[in-house]
Amino acid sequence: MIGYYCRLALKSLRRTPGLTALMVCAIALGIGTCIVTLTVYHAMSGNPIWWKNNVLYAVTMDSWDPLHPFDSDHPQLPPPQLAYKDATYLMQSSIPKRKAVMTKLLGMLTGAPGQTLPLRVWTRATSGDFFSMFDVPFEYGGGWSSAADQGPQPVIVLSKEVNDKLFGGADSVGRTVLWDGHQFRVVGVMNAWHPLPLFYDLIDGAFNAPEDAFVPFGWVRALQQLPSGNMSFWGPSRIVTFQDLLASGAVWTEMWVELPDAASRQRFQAYMDAYWAAQRRVGRFQRPLNNHLTRVSRWLKINGVVSSDSRILVRIAFAFLAVCLINTIGILLTKFLRGAPITGVRRALGASRNQVFLQHIVEVAVVSLAGALIGLALGAAGLGAVRALYTGDASYSLLAHFDPVGVVWALALAALSTLAAGLYPAWAVGRLPPAVYLKTR
Amino acid sequence: MQLNVRPVLSALARNRTGAILVALEIAIALAVMVNATWMVAQRLHDIRQPTGIDQRDIFEFAVAGFSTQFDYGSSQREDLAYLRSLPGVIAATATSAIPLTAFGQGDGIRRRPSELSHQFWVRSMQIDAEGLKTLGVHIVAGRNFTATEVQPFSPHFSHLASEVLVTQSFARKLFPHGNALGKSIYGSTDKPMTIIGITSNFFGSVIDTPSYDGLLYPQEPGGYGDYICLVRTQPGKAAALMRTAERHLATANPNRVIFDAHVLEYYKGQLDAQNRNMVIFLSTVTALILAVTCLGIFGLTAFNVSTRTKQIGTMRAVGARRRDVVSYFLTENAFVLFAGILLGCILALGVGSWLSSAYALPRLDPMYLALGMVILAAIGQLAAWHPARRAAAVPPSVATQTV
Repeated sequence: MIGYYCRLALKSLRRTPGLTALMVCAIALGIGTCIVTLTVYHAMSGNPIWWKNNVLYAVTMDSWDPLHPFDSDHPQLPPPQLAYKDATYLMQSSIPKRKAVMTKLLGMLTGAPGQTLPLRVWTRATSGDFFSMFDVPFEYGGGWSSAADQGPQPVIVLSKEVNDKLFGGADSVGRTVLWDGHQFRVVGVMNAWHPLPLFYDLIDGAFNAPEDAFVPFGWVRALQQLPSGNMSFWGPSRIVTFQDLLASGAVWTEMWVELPDAASRQRFQAYMDAYWAAQRRVGRFQRPLNNHLTRVSRWLKINGVVSSDSRILVRIAFAFLAVCLINTIGILLTKFLRGAPITGVRRALGASRNQVFLQHIVEVAVVSLAGALIGLALGAAGLGAVRALYTGDASYSLLAHFDPVGVVWALALAALSTLAAGLYPAWAVGRLPPAVYLKTR
Repeated sequence: MQLNVRPVLSALARNRTGAILVALEIAIALAVMVNATWMVAQRLHDIRQPTGIDQRDIFEFAVAGFSTQFDYGSSQREDLAYLRSLPGVIAATATSAIPLTAFGQGDGIRRRPSELSHQFWVRSMQIDAEGLKTLGVHIVAGRNFTATEVQPFSPHFSHLASEVLVTQSFARKLFPHGNALGKSIYGSTDKPMTIIGITSNFFGSVIDTPSYDGLLYPQEPGGYGDYICLVRTQPGKAAALMRTAERHLATANPNRVIFDAHVLEYYKGQLDAQNRNMVIFLSTVTALILAVTCLGIFGLTAFNVSTRTKQIGTMRAVGARRRDVVSYFLTENAFVLFAGILLGCILALGVGSWLSSAYALPRLDPMYLALGMVILAAIGQLAAWHPARRAAAVPPSVATQTV
């Protein structure tokens, strides 16, 4: 029966090619616009490690100025980073299943065979647990052990891109490179890995690529490396030497922990709070208790990863789709009412109201489907245009990549369009009394 | 012309659905159009806001050494001597921040050493005596740094200078009721820093949104592990001179790297990308929504005309002139437009106040709403014009014909 209705629908649509084209175009434009905005929104609002959302926590403590909150727009939030001394204390806890402290450095890679120019690489100084905690994929080798953290041992993990540049993509595990003039042994080469957003460090741009090299955190102190990421101070300070920086309340490290269950979470929270209370007695942490273990999904939300522009655009796209659909309802109504004499004959020959309704809904579905297909093409073209607008900003063009979820959206929107645009006209045409239309013939 | 409104209304009442749909379309279109145009106006304003610097004729590159013994002081002095010797270069300075980018520092400033915490956060830059000339920023009051005031490089964090420059905007923020010139301010230490000059407003490094608040230290940079060379050239020569300088300097000292070389205009483009994208998207959707709404109006009038051929013929037969028929349909359309615009007005104001409360956007200017209403009304009547003319072409003889 549906097949027959489809044939009828095509026949009816061919009878009025102008109106059909108009309807298909309106739906295609509406769906295309929605796909462009939804794709960018989806990429921004994604949780790149959703499968561990309930066990990974960002650790924050409010060590800030008693008189002013860290972020005056969000006074309830503690700073997103920790002071070195707080992070190193919290890292001594054995409560978390895995734990990683980290900061961002800028390093020069040299000394690879055949390398002429030094390669400047963003480097993450972190703990060995980083890789297992965040499920980082490896092409060769792997992360380092906690023994390497303690040393610290001169071990380094490279990104796929850097390994391609320095070693032509060959297995470089065991080879030696110079990082800022110091010998490091390659223990692992990552596979392509670009979590969007870069949840573990959102400060310098939520859609940046991960760093190209990873070294044990202990090297920050051992090499007196100034962090090249974000660093914030408050209050009168007398930071002159590197040791002053380590002892200061300046915040420049991030910390993540993996807590497999509620019990361990409570224990770690209690551990933090006890440290807070002890430090408060000696004059630090003068703000109200505000220690947090924050899940990834909430972390992305409180850090405002999804731009408000992107939200506004999604809403405007849907308003546009609504206008397109209302337009289509009008056209369908006109078209169906014009076809009333034929419907009258079908009704007289015994078609029930339901069958007439179904027949017309099928016709609308055909229009919506055609609209969705063209809308998909328009959406892909629109995303291409967005990428072209952002030449030079690699992270944004990654966000505007057509993803397969777009197809699902297009189909869902087509179904929604069919229902929204077709229900009333199909119902209205089924209610017409057939006799009137038979008489005029 | 004598036109009875009653038959128009009764015709509308008989074909409610179509009219309601078009009115709804008009309402949504107006709400989107007005608010989108308002947002576009904001974004264009942001894009056109002067940077205060001569970004087309300034290029920049960063320098970082990679051994602990690397001498940032002598390295930058050599670089600047070379850059200043290049024909076509007007001025050059070594600094700690790249204007128009997030690369830079900020400082908390107090007006009295007794204040426990910082009252003013400001983006800061370390420059030398040629810094202002390089940026294209001028002194509004007081004086520039002298070469002797510029503190030599030191691998420490705190600022050693006792003289600073502030921008006009920041001076007004610090001392709203008095002259900032000659006053002392305090950073993270209790050592006073005297404001010796006030400069024209410009964008330094940018966090979130650009700001004219700025603070300048006479200090050789490098304490953060790298320094930036800023070079002002004669008009149009920035890109070529940048390549020349990069080629020379990349090989001049093997213990360092040169990176991120760009003409500042490039960063201005990056800074505007988000706004530009928003402008293009919003304008496109506004144009499309207007077009689709016009099609809807056109379709409704055309449908009305085609289903009332016989009635039009009768009107004509009993004495209605062609232009009476046109004005009949235009009046009918005007009612639909009026209803739609009225509803749209409420919708637009609602959306506007929601946008300003949810996203902290400035409140919708009623002028935009008024203008949007007028434009939509005009375009709406224009869309009904063609089918109404077709109606007028129906000959009176149709009335006597039987189908």
